[in-house]
Amino acid sequence: MGERELKGILFAFFAGAFLTLQGVANARISYDIGTWQAATLTQLTGFVAALFVLLASRRANWQALRQVKPLYRFGGAFAAVIIFGNVFAIQQIGVTLTISTLLIAQLGLTFLIDSKGWFGVKKQQVTWPHVVGIGLMIAGVVILKA
Amino acid sequence: MLAGLVLAIVAGSLVSLQNVFNSKVNERAGSWTTTTLVLGMGFLASLVCGLLFEGEKLWEWRNMQPWYWFSGLIGVGVVTCLVQGIRLLGPTLAVSIALTSQLSFALLWDSLGWMGLTQVPFTWKQLSGVLVVIVGMLVFKWGGQKKSQEWSKAT
Repeated sequence: MGERELKGILFAFFAGAFLTLQGVANARISYDIGTWQAATLTQLTGFVAALFVLLASRRANWQALRQVKPLYRFGGAFAAVIIFGNVFAIQQIGVTLTISTLLIAQLGLTFLIDSKGWFGVKKQQVTWPHVVGIGLMIAGVVILKA
Repeated sequence: MLAGLVLAIVAGSLVSLQNVFNSKVNERAGSWTTTTLVLGMGFLASLVCGLLFEGEKLWEWRNMQPWYWFSGLIGVGVVTCLVQGIRLLGPTLAVSIALTSQLSFALLWDSLGWMGLTQVPFTWKQLSGVLVVIVGMLVFKWGGQKKSQEWSKAT
C-alpha cells in the first residue's frame, strides 16, 4: 500500500468518525439548549468557518452560482429537518439504529434517483447487488431492533 | 420507537436529495463555495424553523457550554476529510470506508454512552446487526458499481 492510499484511508476513516460525532454532538447540545437552537448554532458556526476557509483560499466563485438552477441552491436548507430528525431519532432509538436506518433511506433514495435518472443525473442500471445490498442492510436493522 | 425510525428515514431521504442538489452546485462552483452556501442555507432554514416553533424562546440557551460554539467545525472536518479521501481513493472506496467507520463509531458511542447520551449496552446481537448492515452497504457499493461499469462498457 502506497502513501497515497494510506492517507486516503485515514481521511475517509476520520470523515466517518466526524459524521457520527456530528450527530452525537447535536443530540448532546439539543439536550441543553433545544434542538432548533442547536441546529441554528452549529450551522452558523459551520457557515462562518467555511466562509473563512473559502476567503482564505481565494477560490470564492459566487458568479458560478448563477449558472445553477435556483432549486438546487436551496439544498442546504434541508439541513434544518435533517438535524431535527437525526437528533430526535438518536434520543429515541440510539445512535446505531438511527444511523443504520438513515443510511438505508439515504442509499435507497439515491439508488431510486439514479435508476430513474431524476434531476438529470446519469441513469444507472438496476442490478442484483443493489437489491441484495439494501435487503441485507434492512435485515441488519431488524437484527438491531429484535 | 416508531417515531424515531420514521424521522431517521425522513432525515436519510433528505440527505440523499441534498447530496444530489449539492453535487449540482459543486459541478459549477467548487467544493468550498458549495459548502459555504449549503451551511448558510442550513443556518437560515434552522433560524426560520426555530423562530416559527419556538418564537422568543429561541434565544434562551439555558445550559450553554463554551464548546458548543465550536461544534459547527465538525461539519467542516467532515467535508475536508471526505473531499480528500475521494480525491485519493475515488468515491466508491472512500465512501465505503467512511460509512463503515461511521457505523462502527455509532456502535462504540452507544456502548460507552459518551457525552451523556443514554447508554445502549453492547451485545453480540448489536454487533452482528451492525456487521450485516456494513456487509449490505459494501455489496450495494461494490457489486452494483462493477456490474453497471460492465454494462456501460457493453453498450
